[in-house]
Amino acid sequence: MTTAIRNYLVFLKRCAKIAFVGDWRYYVWMGILSSICLIGLNAYCKQFVNGLIVTGMSDEVSWGVYIANFTFLVGVAAAAVMMVIPVYIYGNEEMHDLVIFGELLAVAAIFMCLAFVTVDLGRPDHFWHLIPGIGQFNFPASMLSWDVLVLNGYLLLNLHICGYLLYSRYCGRKPAAWFYIPFVFIAIVWAISIHTVTAFLYVGLGGRPFWNSAIVGPRFLASAFTAGPALIILALQVVRRVTATASAVDAEQLLDHATLQAGRPATLEDLELLARHLPELASVSPQIRQEALIGAEVLELAAGNVLLRQGDKDDAAFFILQGRVVVKREENGRFRIIRSGGPGDQFGEISSLAGTPRVATAITEEPSRVLRLPADSLRKLMKGPAMNKIVRSRMTERLLITDRALLMLRSIVQVSMLINVFLLVNEVFKEFYSGNTHVASAKYLFVGLHGHHALVPWIWTAIAFNLTAMVLLVLPISRSLKWLNLTCVLAITGIWIEKGMGLVIPGFIPTTLGAFIEYQPSINETLVCLGIWAFGLLCYTIFLRMAVPILQGRLSRANEDATTAPVTLRPSC
Amino acid sequence: MNRRGFLRSSAVFGVGAAALAASLKPLLELKDFSSMEKFLQKYYREMTPADMEKVLTRITNEVERQYGLRPHVQDLKPMDGVSFVYALNLTRCIGCRKCVHACVAENNQSRSPEIQYIRVLKMPHGSLDIEKSEHDYNPEKVPEKGFFYMPVQCQQCKKPPCVKVCPVHATWQEDDGIVAIDYDWCIGCRYCMAACPYGARHFNFTKPLIPKDRLNPEMAYLGNRPRTQGVTEKCHFCIQRTRAGRYPACLEVCPAGARKFGNILDPESEVSKILATKRVFIQLKEDLGTSPRFFYYFDV
Repeated sequence: MTTAIRNYLVFLKRCAKIAFVGDWRYYVWMGILSSICLIGLNAYCKQFVNGLIVTGMSDEVSWGVYIANFTFLVGVAAAAVMMVIPVYIYGNEEMHDLVIFGELLAVAAIFMCLAFVTVDLGRPDHFWHLIPGIGQFNFPASMLSWDVLVLNGYLLLNLHICGYLLYSRYCGRKPAAWFYIPFVFIAIVWAISIHTVTAFLYVGLGGRPFWNSAIVGPRFLASAFTAGPALIILALQVVRRVTATASAVDAEQLLDHATLQAGRPATLEDLELLARHLPELASVSPQIRQEALIGAEVLELAAGNVLLRQGDKDDAAFFILQGRVVVKREENGRFRIIRSGGPGDQFGEISSLAGTPRVATAITEEPSRVLRLPADSLRKLMKGPAMNKIVRSRMTERLLITDRALLMLRSIVQVSMLINVFLLVNEVFKEFYSGNTHVASAKYLFVGLHGHHALVPWIWTAIAFNLTAMVLLVLPISRSLKWLNLTCVLAITGIWIEKGMGLVIPGFIPTTLGAFIEYQPSINETLVCLGIWAFGLLCYTIFLRMAVPILQGRLSRANEDATTAPVTLRPSC
Repeated sequence: MNRRGFLRSSAVFGVGAAALAASLKPLLELKDFSSMEKFLQKYYREMTPADMEKVLTRITNEVERQYGLRPHVQDLKPMDGVSFVYALNLTRCIGCRKCVHACVAENNQSRSPEIQYIRVLKMPHGSLDIEKSEHDYNPEKVPEKGFFYMPVQCQQCKKPPCVKVCPVHATWQEDDGIVAIDYDWCIGCRYCMAACPYGARHFNFTKPLIPKDRLNPEMAYLGNRPRTQGVTEKCHFCIQRTRAGRYPACLEVCPAGARKFGNILDPESEVSKILATKRVFIQLKEDLGTSPRFFYYFDV
């Protein structure tokens, strides 16, 4: 038990440590984000002292961009579920690791949500009145109390799922299904609930006809499932970029100089050495080991040698006896490290067993000794349950951000955007065609009313962005990543405006007594918002900074004592 | 860690700490925001009489320190067999807004920015559509021809949406029908303001400012004691007056006699008689099902 706790603490310590290490780009990026965070904190301190009067809000428009951002980000958090469904329900292996990125984004988004709600409070010092059991929790009557529960619950669920998956990977063991799969399914339902509950905050108010519409909940979900995955598409490409090593052309030249040396036949001693790093091998009987040695070779290689090359077809699998091997994949003309392994690790086994072309290239990173096994030998070794389990468990989880995965996300964005626009059309029809007096807010929003039209440019920008994004998504052109990125940016911006300036604000205009008081966020308010966004990005960057090396195998329990292997974002090639 | 690394990390740490301190600087201007006693204060409905005694003493001392005047702060409870109702005669109201200002003076509202519990709507004859109302009318003489005036304040709904949405029970309905607020319990989320269909709730966007010579020293805990920054407030039927057997300030000041207030459980009260005899009376936005205790009627 104590070792388990110790191991976990070491894990946390190493994760925390790695967050402070990176190349110059990392420091610049973190420095900029930290500065914006501090500017936001400074603006918030001013607000804390002087009150919400430093914002653009008033008795008439009593919620502003804080709550608008909150609403948008709840959607982003909820959309993480769209990453989970293809993997766990349809067993799409290609997106397996991407789920972790999605859930980490959800965690960062909820941090931002909680920050946005907190800065919106007039008495943040009375916060404890909200804690069930200590304060006075108006549950289930107040939708806000529901929101407190579902948001914090969702945060815990996601922290548990990705924390557990990452820790299992760090320890090099297969995660126990019962310990996370049930939570994954709970999280799917929960994700829908967080956004529905947030929509109900508005829908439940009979005195605000603009919000008091049953379609707001479905609209929230549709727009969330557009903006969320769109944000993840962009984030994944950034991850892909910063974990890439060099352009494919450079690497191609480098690889051409590397020559694979002929090996010597493997012996039982070599297997004995491997068993030291791979205890499961000990359960294999000496007789089977002897059989497995047929055709097996041991290679002594200098750094920079290619063991197998992406696209090639041969049937060998490899185990590292000594040294370090890095597995890279060419994507869009750049090489990206998928993982790196030390003694006891395997690679090439998937294509070896399946007889498919290599999906990546493996290169020695330092002088290494490697065991090369023909597919038949590997199958023999895997006859025992222990070996079978360990080899198979390592096969399933791989850090691949393939274009196919991004295009899978594209189709989610595509369908959601179509539904989103369709629901908006429904809403607009209902408001304008019936022509009753409650149309005032919608009229104010879309065309302006009684000489007031502050929101008109906003909503038409949003509509233009959303429609353009929708057309691009339907056209095959958005299969190219450049166009897809543009589409995602348009969709995210469009939906951010639609939910903030287009839904939260007009609900207050005109007031319940028919007066027109307009709203414009103040500079201080805007700085607080920017600070919180920077804080969220900071959190997400740190999460990725920890998660990527773990998924790559560069940060694992096996190399706990290795002080020599520095973990950098961009190792020199 | 080597010497150079140590120096570098200390420099980074130093710059970070300095930047953090600089960004926190505005907090130095924070005065009388809260005290430990106030921070830990219990919820109104869970206080024992002894707790309340302490709280009233704290409030008295705070007000005296701030305004140089020792107030008389009470915790007045609802009276048995009393259920308050307000009736307002729209035929008589002349739109002079005397009620608005009497209310501000009575209830120690902030004067800058000024918070007003009563909003008088100028309405064209023949319509009750408040989207046609005018709020900022300012002619030389009221009433103007072709218009009638409708003062709107907290309707003290029997089914108050504000009470339902408050996440911390900081607002609730008392036995005499008054929807009260514990200003020391409110977290300032303003959800009640979004929920209220009558624009009755107001928020202290900054520290309320009341000139020392304008303070009304006759105070109630749930009524007109000075509020703090960051909490909501609204009309409470002058709890400090009506629970002591007096009329609300807006009623007393009305030069037209348009305002009537009383106990609906007493069949002899003026409001009981009005509601029993007037053929038309209006509950504002009746369709929302909030069931106001505030009735508008015409002399017909």
